[in-house]
Amino acid sequence: MVLPAVVRDARRLNPAVHLLNAFALGLGLVFSVSALLGNPSWEASLTLPFAGAVRVGFDGLTLFFLFTFQLLSLAASVYAIGYLKAYIAHGVGIRAHLSFFTLLMLSMQLLLVARNALLFLILWECMAVSAYFCIVLEKEKPEVRRGGFWYLMATHASVLLLYVFFVVLRETTGSWDFGAWARFAGWNPGLLAILFTTGFLGFAIKAGFMPFHAWLPNAHPAAPAHVSSLLSAINIKAGIYGIARMLLILPAENAAAFGWVLLAVSVVSAIGGVWYALAQHDIKKLLAYHSVENIGIIGIGLAVGWLGRCAGLPGLAALGFAGALLHTLNHALFKGLLFFGAGNVALYARTGNIEKMGGLMRALPITGIGFLIGAVSICGLPPFNGFISEFLIYKSLFQGGLSMFQDDRYAPLILLVSAVGLAFMGGLAVACFTKLYGVVFLGENRSGEAVRPDGEKASSFPVLLGLAALCAWIGLVPGSALKLLLPALGEMCGTSNAPLDAVTSLGGFTSVFGLLLGMVLLTLLVRALAQRKYGVRVRETWCCGYDRVTARMQYTASSFAEELVKLGRPMLGLKLAWKPLQRIAPEPRSFESHGYDQMEEGLWLNLNRAIGRALTLLRWIQSGNIRHYVLYVFVALIVYLAAAFLW
Amino acid sequence: MVEFSTNPVSWLGFLLFAVGAPLWMGIVNKLKARLSGRCGPSVFQTFYDLARLARKETVYSRSASFITRLAPVIVWNTTALAVLILPIGPFPPAISFSGDFILLAYLLGTGRFFQILAGLDVASSFQGMGASREARFAVFAEPIFFFTFGSLALVTGHASLSLQSIFKDIAWDQPFFAVFIVISSISIFFLMLAECSRIPVDDPNTHLELTMIHEVMILDASGFDLFLYQHAASLKVLLYALLVASLLNPFSWLNLFDGTLFFIASLGVIAVVLALIETLMARFRLVLVPQFLLYATIIGVLNILIFTISH
Repeated sequence: MVLPAVVRDARRLNPAVHLLNAFALGLGLVFSVSALLGNPSWEASLTLPFAGAVRVGFDGLTLFFLFTFQLLSLAASVYAIGYLKAYIAHGVGIRAHLSFFTLLMLSMQLLLVARNALLFLILWECMAVSAYFCIVLEKEKPEVRRGGFWYLMATHASVLLLYVFFVVLRETTGSWDFGAWARFAGWNPGLLAILFTTGFLGFAIKAGFMPFHAWLPNAHPAAPAHVSSLLSAINIKAGIYGIARMLLILPAENAAAFGWVLLAVSVVSAIGGVWYALAQHDIKKLLAYHSVENIGIIGIGLAVGWLGRCAGLPGLAALGFAGALLHTLNHALFKGLLFFGAGNVALYARTGNIEKMGGLMRALPITGIGFLIGAVSICGLPPFNGFISEFLIYKSLFQGGLSMFQDDRYAPLILLVSAVGLAFMGGLAVACFTKLYGVVFLGENRSGEAVRPDGEKASSFPVLLGLAALCAWIGLVPGSALKLLLPALGEMCGTSNAPLDAVTSLGGFTSVFGLLLGMVLLTLLVRALAQRKYGVRVRETWCCGYDRVTARMQYTASSFAEELVKLGRPMLGLKLAWKPLQRIAPEPRSFESHGYDQMEEGLWLNLNRAIGRALTLLRWIQSGNIRHYVLYVFVALIVYLAAAFLW
Repeated sequence: MVEFSTNPVSWLGFLLFAVGAPLWMGIVNKLKARLSGRCGPSVFQTFYDLARLARKETVYSRSASFITRLAPVIVWNTTALAVLILPIGPFPPAISFSGDFILLAYLLGTGRFFQILAGLDVASSFQGMGASREARFAVFAEPIFFFTFGSLALVTGHASLSLQSIFKDIAWDQPFFAVFIVISSISIFFLMLAECSRIPVDDPNTHLELTMIHEVMILDASGFDLFLYQHAASLKVLLYALLVASLLNPFSWLNLFDGTLFFIASLGVIAVVLALIETLMARFRLVLVPQFLLYATIIGVLNILIFTISH
């Protein structure tokens, strides 16, 4: 895009950089939308040093992701203007941060344009490393370093698998070019199994599917809000883009097994993500777990779409892929919105712990309204955008069940159970976001602070309200967003004119939701009339006759979620620390509860420890004696030479 | 795709429903009173109560934000829109489209979301506790709805996935099918008990706030807001009762007269069953409620499995 010119400009001034970035991104946005509505296909060849001719280009899929990425990058740039002021005031050096932030946004966009595996991997690395440096802005804090390290580990595990994926592809087809891969015909089943496994694992770590999600809840809270929203809203979508691209390259014949695996992993991610989220007290950590949930929802859509393609049902494929792609955009919008809101909240409350908050609606009214719309959207409730994409996915599951019911007895049941899982997840999401919103914004402040006037940064208003408006717009007028989706959808379904009427007919929701809005306004009017006639009073809350009520007696987030969290055991760890009453005379007592991630603690950390222990067996090699090292070099040389002669 | 019925009867059916809902509640209350040997208030008592509430002054808490003021309006309207999607007896629904039952469930979900928030808005433990319980039980209730209607859609095999077509295609010609439908309707009936705060899940008439779910959540609501909440609650009960009645309809589709008669009769039967349950049973301990709901899910699962294997 236009951005390379801007990178050189990343200088001292925070607003200057962000405004320039925002300007460039705005231009990019205009470009990608016009290309999506016009002619969404272009390719060119670049000559790079060492790599030779490298193809770049875009198609509907690239442009759709490009649009999403640019929209959120634009929002993050504008938001960062005000947000970083707080860091500048605390004397945090942000000059390097600004260049890495710009590099991150740039490399994410260029990644989409790459049509060559080498270029793709280089940009993937660029994106990963610049994101790491963005995360560790406050590197003096141990939890920030820890979170950054988690990110670095995860992203390198991911890139390692991608190396295997791409090298195997190159060895099979003799080319690094995506286009050549898509045209290749001589696949064999064993190879495909390797490709699907490595490609999916590599991209799944990036996207944060359930067993590989442990880096998200560590890295996202560590980063400053504009970075964590970029990470959560679009960086993990690079993984989704990768999977979608993989599905475009690899053949759909006899590959239905991948669809079922993806479906299972996605359902587990969706339910597990939200259940873990429910146990969190930290606002950003909670939101990070919700990213796992939403990636799961996107995965369900992709899986059903892929199953549709494998079974030769283009209508089903269209429904599934449309749900997945639309949810990608939707999740970017509301998750960005929620993280920006969380940034404002954390700045104001000077902590991320929601148990110390309450009643912030009075201090942060605009943030409160934006956050409410984000929360309703992420729960998939009508009339906002989350509902539209979840509706498509539900429909694809039911439709899939129906169209397969005649031939296959059990496949429909699996799809039905997935739909039920989605409903269960929906209920948990409602519990989780009512908890978050109720505890943070409603009620009274639990730390007993009066409202401070300096609450909100005005520069975040256009971002919060803009994203909230987009959430509402896609919900009320789904047809408009679907127009941007159609080119990508045609490609994903593998037909130029896929039967898209099931998707395009969503426009009808406009009238239903219009009716709802009209009814709401009418009811408000009637109530206003009734209240004018019969009166309104403001008094204390009715507490069943008790009148010494304090803010600390409110229901807390932990108690709100406790029963549901308990039901999640043993998958969900819950640490309780308190002393039972032992003496008659009361003494000072305390109670603590922390939910922890069984997969993080039990699976990954134990795995790491086991690897560490295994490697200590080799420690004798590192004797520290220089003569031994010279011997190693010598032996290695001889082995190489012998190999070269004998081969 | 979204079809708005041009038949004025469907829209009039909504008015009938809105008026009939409190009446049906009144009938259930009367039956309950009679079964437990009391005389009980008139069946129109619910109307008097609602009218009294609508004409009262509204009192808001000092802690309340705009959520408390917005929630009753959202709750009533989402419930009312859900009723518009429902085929009311033999009348075609006012709004119908492919996948409309998904919207119906999610509309009720939106209402629940705001009701829970309103519970947390007034900074009191009582309301917070009710809100927490509502959220918890909803998690287990929602899957029952999707499971039942999803399996019905599979079994009736209608690609249009709308409530109207699902209900139309229910036929009792095969014994397997009949068993399947009866068990599905039991699942929905269990769901109704949970979603509408009836005994054995919740007791709307209890005197201790600590043991309530729905009533304690709206403890601070008053005046016109309470009127909206209560009316929405009665709409919701009748909505579920109608779902059960529509499932049990043995005739494939009825003309207006027979249909009206059949639906009035079946609503009467459901009212008697409900009153019997509420008279004979005590409220469950709260920890048992998720088990109760899981039980309703499990019979649904067994139902579709048996149907699939044997069909």
